Amino acid sequence: MSLAARTRAVLHQALEVYQDSPRATSWLQRQLTRFDDPLRLAVVGPRGSGRSTLVVALAGEAGPGEMNWFRTPADDLVLMDTPAIDDDAARSAVEGICLDADAVVHLVRRPSEANLEFLHTLRDHPVARAAAVNALVVLSRADELGGGRVDAVLSARQVARRYRVAPEVAGLCQDVVPVAGLLAAAARTMTEAEFAVLRTLAAVPRAELEPRLLSTDRFAAEEFPASVAAVDRIKLLSRFGLFGVRLALTLIRRGADTPSALSDELLARSGLSELRARIDDYFLARRDVLKARSALIGLEVVLRMEPRPAAAPLAAELERLLAGAHDFRELRLVAALSTGRTVLPGELKAEALRLIGAAGTSRTDRLGSDPVLLAVRRWRDRAENRELSTRERQAAAVVVRSCEAMANGSV
Amino acid sequence: MAPPWLDVLDDTAQMCATSRRPDLVNRLRRRRAQLLDEKLRVVVIGESGQGKSQLVNALVNAPVCAVGEDSTTAVPAVVEHAETPTATVVTAGARAIEGPAARPAAPETVTGQANRDAVAVSGRPVVRAEIGLPRALLADGLALVDTPPKAAIETVDSADAVLMATDATSELSASEIQLLEQVLRLCPTVLVVLTKIDLVPGWRGVAQRNRIRLDQRGLMASLIPVSAALRLAAARTGDKQLNAESGFGELVKCLHRDLPGKADLLARRSVAALSTTTVEALQSSLHEEFAATQQPDSGDAMARWHAAGRRLEKLQRDASRWQTLLSDEVSDLISDAEFDLRDRTRQILTEVDEYFDTADPAKAWGEFEEWLRENLTSVAETNSEWLLDRFEWIARKIARQVAPHREDALPDSLPREVPGDAVGDLRMPRVERFSVGQKLFVGMRGSYSGLLMFGLATTIAGLPLINPISLGAGAAFGAKSVFEERGNRLKRRQHAAKNAAHRYVDDFFLRYGKHSKDTARQIHRALRDRLNAIADELRGEITETAKSYKQAIDDDTTRRTARANEIRRMMDELNALRRRAQSLADHPGRLPAQRRVPA
Repeated sequence: MSLAARTRAVLHQALEVYQDSPRATSWLQRQLTRFDDPLRLAVVGPRGSGRSTLVVALAGEAGPGEMNWFRTPADDLVLMDTPAIDDDAARSAVEGICLDADAVVHLVRRPSEANLEFLHTLRDHPVARAAAVNALVVLSRADELGGGRVDAVLSARQVARRYRVAPEVAGLCQDVVPVAGLLAAAARTMTEAEFAVLRTLAAVPRAELEPRLLSTDRFAAEEFPASVAAVDRIKLLSRFGLFGVRLALTLIRRGADTPSALSDELLARSGLSELRARIDDYFLARRDVLKARSALIGLEVVLRMEPRPAAAPLAAELERLLAGAHDFRELRLVAALSTGRTVLPGELKAEALRLIGAAGTSRTDRLGSDPVLLAVRRWRDRAENRELSTRERQAAAVVVRSCEAMANGSV
Repeated sequence: MAPPWLDVLDDTAQMCATSRRPDLVNRLRRRRAQLLDEKLRVVVIGESGQGKSQLVNALVNAPVCAVGEDSTTAVPAVVEHAETPTATVVTAGARAIEGPAARPAAPETVTGQANRDAVAVSGRPVVRAEIGLPRALLADGLALVDTPPKAAIETVDSADAVLMATDATSELSASEIQLLEQVLRLCPTVLVVLTKIDLVPGWRGVAQRNRIRLDQRGLMASLIPVSAALRLAAARTGDKQLNAESGFGELVKCLHRDLPGKADLLARRSVAALSTTTVEALQSSLHEEFAATQQPDSGDAMARWHAAGRRLEKLQRDASRWQTLLSDEVSDLISDAEFDLRDRTRQILTEVDEYFDTADPAKAWGEFEEWLRENLTSVAETNSEWLLDRFEWIARKIARQVAPHREDALPDSLPREVPGDAVGDLRMPRVERFSVGQKLFVGMRGSYSGLLMFGLATTIAGLPLINPISLGAGAAFGAKSVFEERGNRLKRRQHAAKNAAHRYVDDFFLRYGKHSKDTARQIHRALRDRLNAIADELRGEITETAKSYKQAIDDDTTRRTARANEIRRMMDELNALRRRAQSLADHPGRLPAQRRVPA
């Protein structure tokens, strides 16, 4: 029986135990309903880190404001923009977000001033500690990290690569991704008119245009070599930023001369595509696991707030679920292997990732045409190979467990 | 003539030396050397990623400081004037005793190399990178120092002026304001440089809000918006217009034209700030010490002194108590001893009576006399032994009360002499002997009446008066009289012997009793004197200790009062020094950098 099914069963048992308590019953009912809802992703971060901008970039349209869940038109995701998480943020608000969201994207302007207090609070719960698999850290102003150069996001990727293996974040999040939030949002919602303005600008000879792109003041000046009104240029600047304008003009010159082509290129270079991929891999593909995790946290709250003798078997079952939940461990290992926190040699890494379900969680996605028992034996040998390091052997042990699950047919 | 700030600085150092603060003295001494130096150190500080290194690069128009995405600068870089471009990496010795060593490097790559070496585990620790460049800006002895964010405060300690970089993408954060406040206390000449204005469309708004923020917090620092990217682009193309837009003109004017000529003013302001903080540091420690002198902490000595007083009182109370106890015990003892003596002599007398009921003193006197003397002697010995034993016991008991911790409270032994003369000579009572004549006479007297009685009776029967019967009866009567007389005499002798013995024992009792009582009284007196002497000794000791405690307490109080007065005097001096330091800063002649730059 899968984790999700077992969690559902426990929730139903809990409903029976608590049927005389209206508060607990309504709370548990809510957890059950949430189970079938799309995944809830909260965007959190300090003041000025670009939360709303990133919500727009992810959803493709402006959200309904802070603390409101709204479903993205395109896919199976519910997003929420949260109030700024600063040092003086109300503790209840923070805890509310922790309970309400299935997964969290935490925005950081630059690594040196990151306030990871929220991520610690997110983990400050018995269930959450056993399954810290629902957070991503985003360097949300990647263009500023690179000083606004055209290759700024590339250099931000270097920063992210160093930062994701730093000990203070390694245990708190699945991955660190750089995103130029402003550009991403603009690219997601680019209008025909904007594209037209950009194309007009790109048509100006480089020698004339280049000095105009040196600063925002110069770009917004009254006299300009192209027939674009200053108001339009200022609007463009506020939507794309100087970095975005520079990048868009370069891309148009290189041949991205349709709105959709430009939009795609910009999304890729802003880092949003990578963020989407990570959200797909770590969150959406494991929706059931994350939902089960949220439901278990909800159940734990009930058991803690209204303890009663009849609930003792439930608490035991909860603990058994957490201790035995292999899905959480798979998810951690997927992240550890892809971010380089755990290192396996080339072909081993690819095979391990496939077997623990990084490329898809169905049996065929994992195994292909390999006989499962051979995989079990191979990985068991590796888990017991004294020449490998402890972390490698631990990783191999997780893979063995996945293979065994397939062998006994529970996947 | 020495400038006034030098006097203030030297006086402050003098005060630090008086307060035994070698750390502060060293700091002031270092600062003094730096201030007297012609060189002007301008330190560039700011949080990570605010564009500090780029600011230095743009100021000297050369990429001398390495620029990167995050936390690039790991060691300070000092940029100074030189005829030709030079660069060195300064490393500390592997051991503390080795001085710094310099290693030449290429000016373009020196900081990158220094930063790499600084984070590397092996090799000599890098202290700083030094770069020399032929620049008009630096020609007057200006030295620009690029700092890693962590070392900002310690570098500012040796700065003549500070440039604080904050980028225009966000307003001044709480931590930046805090850093600025700290820096202003150490070095009052601060310029806040708003960097990266080329990237942010609304930088004017950010600059305005930052200025308001600085004003609200009362921070004396003016704000200059600049763009290093524009300045470097202008340097590449030689575009004057672009250079003007970069905002560096204003900054260079401050650094180049205003700072070098105002060395004295800068020094005055630095000294004012430095002296004020130093004086405050001294005053706070003095405040603490003064507070400590105000509350006597010699509680220990005080408590011991009180304890000694209490012990003395207790000793006096005990003295009368144990004296009563001693005389009670002694009178008990004397009456017990007397009873014992009487009891023993009474037994002896009973035996004497029984003995003389049968024995003839005339025959057995010698034997009896010896027995009686032996018995009485042993009575005297036993009784006196017992008396002394009990005395010892009493003495021990009371000595324990008087001086529990003194083994020598008791004399080693009590006088243990048994009165030898208590048993005197016993004379035999005078007993008249029953001589033959007397026997004859008594016999004759008795036989006479018998002879006559029976002679007369037999005459009736016609017998002569003297006949065999009457002769026989006379002989019988005579013998009977002699026997009776003998028996009477024995009884008389026995009685006399008993009387003599009783008198003798009485005499013994009287003499020995007197002697025993005398002994008891003597010992009593000796014991009392001895214990009194010990109690006096103890009292003397305690009084002495109490006196020494009191002396210590008095000394302590005197010392404290003296120290408190000293502190008060020093406080006054420090306050005067502080006023002098502040008057340095209030001196007319403000630095143009302090003026507000029009927005």
